[in-house]
This record gives sequence, C-alpha cells and structure tokens, in this order.
Amino acid sequence: MTDRPLIAFAGISKTYGNGTLALDDVSFAIRPGVIHAVCGENGAGKSTLMKILFGLEQPTSGSILLDGEAVAIPSPRIAAEKGIGMVHQHFSLVPSLSVSENIVLGQEPRRGAFLDRVAARRRVEELSRRYNLAVDPDATVRTLSVAAQQKVEILKALSRDVRVLILDEPTAVLTPPETDELFDRLRDMRAAGLTILFISHKLREVRALASHVTVLRAGKLAGDAPLAAIDDEAIARLVMGQAAGPALKRGGRVSGTPRVVVSGVHLKARDANDRLEGIDLTVHAGEILGVAGVDGSGQRGLVSLLTGRAQPTTGAITYEGKPTAGLGTAALRRLGLAHLPADRFQDGGSKRMTLVENAIAGAHRLAAFSTGPFLKRRAMETRTEEMIVHYKVRCPGPNAPLSALSGGNAQKLIAAREFATEPHFMIADQPTRGIDVAAAAFLHERLAELAAKGGAVLLITADLDELLTLSDRIVILYAGRIVARLENEPGLTPERLGPYMLGLESAA
Amino acid sequence: MTDFDLASLITFIPAILRVTTPILLAALGVLISERAGVLNIGVEGMMLTGAFAGVVVSAATGSASLGFLAALIAGGLLGALLSFAVHVLKSDLILSGIALNMAAAAGTTLLLFMLTGDKGMSGSLSSKVLPHLTVPVIAGIPVLGTLLSGHHILTYAAFLAVPGVGLFLMRTPMGLRLRAVGENPESAAIAGINVRRVQIGALVTSGVFAGAAGAFLSMGYVSWFSQNMSAGRGFIALAAEVMGHGSASGTMFASLLLGLAEAASIALQGAGLPSELMQTVPYLVPVIALVVHARRRQRQLARA
Repeated sequence: MTDRPLIAFAGISKTYGNGTLALDDVSFAIRPGVIHAVCGENGAGKSTLMKILFGLEQPTSGSILLDGEAVAIPSPRIAAEKGIGMVHQHFSLVPSLSVSENIVLGQEPRRGAFLDRVAARRRVEELSRRYNLAVDPDATVRTLSVAAQQKVEILKALSRDVRVLILDEPTAVLTPPETDELFDRLRDMRAAGLTILFISHKLREVRALASHVTVLRAGKLAGDAPLAAIDDEAIARLVMGQAAGPALKRGGRVSGTPRVVVSGVHLKARDANDRLEGIDLTVHAGEILGVAGVDGSGQRGLVSLLTGRAQPTTGAITYEGKPTAGLGTAALRRLGLAHLPADRFQDGGSKRMTLVENAIAGAHRLAAFSTGPFLKRRAMETRTEEMIVHYKVRCPGPNAPLSALSGGNAQKLIAAREFATEPHFMIADQPTRGIDVAAAAFLHERLAELAAKGGAVLLITADLDELLTLSDRIVILYAGRIVARLENEPGLTPERLGPYMLGLESAA
Repeated sequence: MTDFDLASLITFIPAILRVTTPILLAALGVLISERAGVLNIGVEGMMLTGAFAGVVVSAATGSASLGFLAALIAGGLLGALLSFAVHVLKSDLILSGIALNMAAAAGTTLLLFMLTGDKGMSGSLSSKVLPHLTVPVIAGIPVLGTLLSGHHILTYAAFLAVPGVGLFLMRTPMGLRLRAVGENPESAAIAGINVRRVQIGALVTSGVFAGAAGAFLSMGYVSWFSQNMSAGRGFIALAAEVMGHGSASGTMFASLLLGLAEAASIALQGAGLPSELMQTVPYLVPVIALVVHARRRQRQLARA
C-alpha cells in the first residue's frame, strides 16, 4: 500500500542520565488503520519508545513525525491532544475512585463549580456502547477484576478522541478467553479506523492480531516487516539475535518417589484470594508439576505454606516422608527447599543491597563466606562473579545495587543463588513474568535440568505457554481448590485450560 | 436527669465548641493536604505563626480584620515554604514539617522579644479580638439560643467549612484531581494533571486553615500572643484527621471528641482533682483514640 504513514519515528535515540543507551537511531513507520506489533526482549527499548511517543520521556535525538510533520510531545496531555492514547502495562487507574471518575479524570464535565456526575456517567455509557466494552460506571475500580480494570483503562484511553492506541503487553494479565475477547474488541477498533500499536513478546498473539511487526533488539531496530512476509522463526531470530534453541517440550516424564506430599490442607487466610479449601497434591522427584489458575486462586497461600511462611489450618505436608508442621523457612531450606518468588524485588532480593549481598544471602553463615562474625568479602565477590558469568547477568559489576538491574537480570541472579544450593525441591513462582525471551529460555533450561537431575519442581505460572512447555503434570487451582489434574499430553492447549481456570468446569 | 444537670450540660456545649474550633480548622487543613498526598506535619508551626501574625498586625493597624488576614497569609506563606522545600529542594516532607514547627516556635519567640522586649507574652501590644455572632431570632429561644447563637465568628466558620471542604473534595473536579494526586500521582500525571501544582495548592490551602486556627487562639477570646500558645493543638489536629478516616465529617466528629476532652479537662481542673493530671487529658485522649482506631481498622482489614 502507498498510504502515507500516520506515525514515523526518525532516528530516535535515548540516552539516560546514567549513560545507558536505551534507543539507538530507531526509524520506522506506522500506517494508519492497522494493528502494528512491536516485539523485543525486555530492555530492548519497546517501552522507552512508547513512552517517548506518549510524552512520558523525551528523545535525546531524532524526531517523531505525525501525518508527515515533526511534532514535539512534551507531556501525556499533549499526546492526548494529538490523538495518542496509551493502555499501560501497570494500569494508570486510581483504585478508590469510581469507573466514571477514573475515565473523566483530567477532563471532567462540569456543572457550575461541581463535577457533573450525570454527564460523566453518560459519557462512560456512550463509550462503553460504542466500543462494546461493558463496564459499570459506578463501580469502585478497586473492586473490579483485572480484566475489567483493563477495560476501564482502554475506555479511559479512548475517551480522548484517540487516533492511535498504544497497548503495552495487554495480555500479560488475562486468561485465554479474556485475551480472545480483547482481540475481538481490538479488531473492531481497527475496523472503526483506529491505529493500534501492540507491544508484546508473545509471537502467537502478534501473529493472531497484527499485520505488521517491528522488532527491537538492544535499543536498535532489528527488523521491520509485514507479518505475511516473515515466519515465526525469523521473528524469533530477530528478537533474540541468534537462532532460537529447539523448543523444549516435556510432558509425561516418568517420575520418581514422592518428595513433597500435601494432604487435605486448608488455609484460612486474611485475604480471601489466598485461602485453600482442601488441597491434595504430590510432587515427585524428577518432575515438574505445573500449577495454573487465575491470579488469586490460592497460589499465594500454597506458596506460603510450602515455604514455611504459614502453617496449614488443617491438613499436613510431608517432605521426603517427614512432617513439616511447625518448621519455618530456614528449617525447610536446610532440608533442601529453594524458592524463586513471584516478586523478585520484594521477596527475591533487596533492591538497595549489592549483587554480592543478594547473591550470598542465605549462604552468608557458611564457612566459605565468613570468619567468626565477619564476612569474607573477597570470597563473596569471587562467588558472585562466577554467578554473573554463569547466568549471563548483565550488570555494571558485583557491587552495584540490585536496583540497577532490569527485572530479567535480577531474576537470573536470584535464580543463580537458588540453584546454587542444589535443591531437592524448587518452588518457581512466576519465574519468567515480565522478563525477556532469552532470559526466560535460560531459566526454563535450568528448571528442566534440575528435574532431570532428580529435583522436584513446583512451577506456578500464569504464562500458559510456559506451563505447557515445562510441566510433566498440571493441576489447576480455582478459588482455593484443585479443579483439574491433567497429564501434559501433546494435545493439551491453553484453550482447554481456560474453562477450568475460570471455574466453569471441574475435573477433579 | 435533673433540670440542673441538663442546664449545666447545655452551658457546657459552647465550651466544647470553643475548644473544638482551632482543632477543627487545623484538622480540615491537614485533611486537604493529606488527601493530596502531602501530609502537613508543619500545621503546629503554621498555627503558631498565624496566631503571632494576627496579634502583631492587628496591634499595628488597629484592625481585627487585617490581623486575621495577616494570620491567613502567614499560614499560607508557610505552606508555600514547606512546598518549596519539598517540591523544589526535594527535601523530606515529614522532616521539613518538623523543622518548620521548630523554626516557628523559636522564630515567634525571637520576634516577640524584638517587638516587645518580653519573651513570654505580647501584653504590651494592644491587639484586637474577632467578634462573636448573635443569630437574630434564634438567640431568643431558650435552649436553641444557647446552642446555636452567640458563638465566635470562627466557630461558625469552622463548622460551615466542614460541608464546604467535604463538597470540594468529593464533588468538584478540583477535589477529584486532588484525591487522584494523593492516591496515585503517576495516574494523575498520565491523565494530564499537574501533580506538583495540585500539591502546592493543597499545602498553601492547608496553611491558610492553620493560620485561621492560630488567629482563633490569639484573637478569639484573648487579645494576646504567648510563647508556644498552640500547645500541641496542631498535633491533636493531625490525630483528628487520622481518626476522621479522610472525610470532612469524620474529621469534624473526631475534632469534637478531642474538643470534649479538652473542655472536660478545663472544667474538672476546678473540681478539686490535681490540675496537672487534668491537663494531660487532652493529650491522652488522642493517644487512646488512635489506639482504638488502629485496632478497629486492623479488625476491618482482617474481615475483608
């Protein structure tokens, strides 16, 4: 087609104050009325580029052309005036305000000195009807499900007469049916003339939705092509910068002796999302047991029980035949537990401490790292440097704070620490959430390797591709119960898991 | 209950309203700052400075209104100063507020000494007093008259400000933006709201309320300023705001409870109990109230 591009990035570079080059001379164009995907690893520059387009960041050099004219976008307000809206990965909603208050925030209809709440509600209902996104205008945002909050976030972006809608990893928080619904709505919007910029690192979704893909790698443009002209492998190569390894696919592995047995466990928790109502499961030596479920189906409760941070209200857990009642985290770790927590900066490591301190945490009392009350700094640094090399942690050095690392690199360091103990039982809780494809593949290999060496792995993940790639068996949690137990056969698809995850079906 | 008890109870109510007034005015100021995400710890110092400015300017000009205006401006300027420290110099909000309180206590004493040669009281300055209001018609009705008429003008202002602040926060576009800024500044910025401007406005407004509270102390019933005359009422106002759960009406009820404690302590000092002990009541009640409040909130969280 010969349409004039709606948006063109011309030689955009961005250097941060600390010298990090986030974008390096990136140029590509987006035609009007299409769904255009932007792919790349974490830290490839996708988010930075979108923030520049939305006015949250300023480019160091280069320009943005809108309808062929160079424009300056100094703030989100100006972006909105130019018809650019953004659906943020971490929603930009105010939890205590109502849906309609959130949507009109910043451009409130007035009646005299007051907010015109009737007009605000009407505006939301109109938008909701026009884009076929059902929301309750009076509901408080805090009470809504993640999928409903995303609808509000989309409506909020659409409420400002947008021509271009940016969606940053919109499916990360959705179940498969919710993702399908979102895609249908996005196709409707495109049909209505909207241009959509879709940021993702899931190739399947890019393929399903977009007509054009741009790949960024390490801040540079790695490729730009119509999807009809490029196959998945080629995209993966562009993303990763090398031939992607052969896809792992496990399933049906013969497993060894029961290592961790959870029987009849109930947990009364403060947060209803953490409650467990009679869980029975066994993790065998040499297997990866996948746990699926919508966020808040009891995963957090299960993890806190297995890591000794909570005790079951009723029921028992045994570890290699021995009951674990009353044992805390330290005692369980001595028995061979390792844990990759879901929140790597909150539970996995300490942001303000150095890589060395984070890498040695837990092992700091070993003779290798301490003499009497003092730590052996040199030995700790040497060990950390080994981990950095071994796990390919991109970092300024072993004495940098953990906060200097991207999510993926921080996770690799924490993984290095956890795998170093040669655990008998590994709990991997959302091990690759929000991290790039290469780092994720690396961690997947480590988990598979551990299982192959006879370790028992409990994999809790919202990423169904990850679940189906790694798991030998799968249990699905819904509202604190196991609603399905499945062998991971080759025919098992994310679509088959969906109804269980939403509690529509039960097979347990 | 005998007639005598009822009568003394009714005469006790104006006393409660009187001591509640400065707490309520300051607490409403704290409420506005807190909802904007910039809790005004400096309210005590702003109150004290407002009290001082009111006395000095009304003595110099001979006008109670100009003195009151000066108190408001002094409070507002300190709000702007706190905001400058936090938003421009990027200093810590809480530490800056504490510093402001200490500077206000010392600064007013110093200026008092420079102006009057006395470090304790402004007795030599002939400052003015703001008036009481008699509501026509109602004043003549027996019980209702005592309850509703004859209070200080700032008492009326404080209680009328409660629905005013409530409507502002909950029903106006500006209030909506202020709440959004206080709860999630990133979201507000993305919605095109100038977060810094909203917070500056909130701190200045908060200071104006504190200035009014200060003016009540030095120009309400007395016509003098004394060293540290705010006597911790700013901190009691902070407690009232917390107990009020972020709403204007809640803040009013909490202020009334704390005002009741102070009025009771004043009344009981004449009743033969050790006065030193009684003077602790206004400070003990907020401590107990906050403990009860925290326990209740924990239970609510546990239920949810």
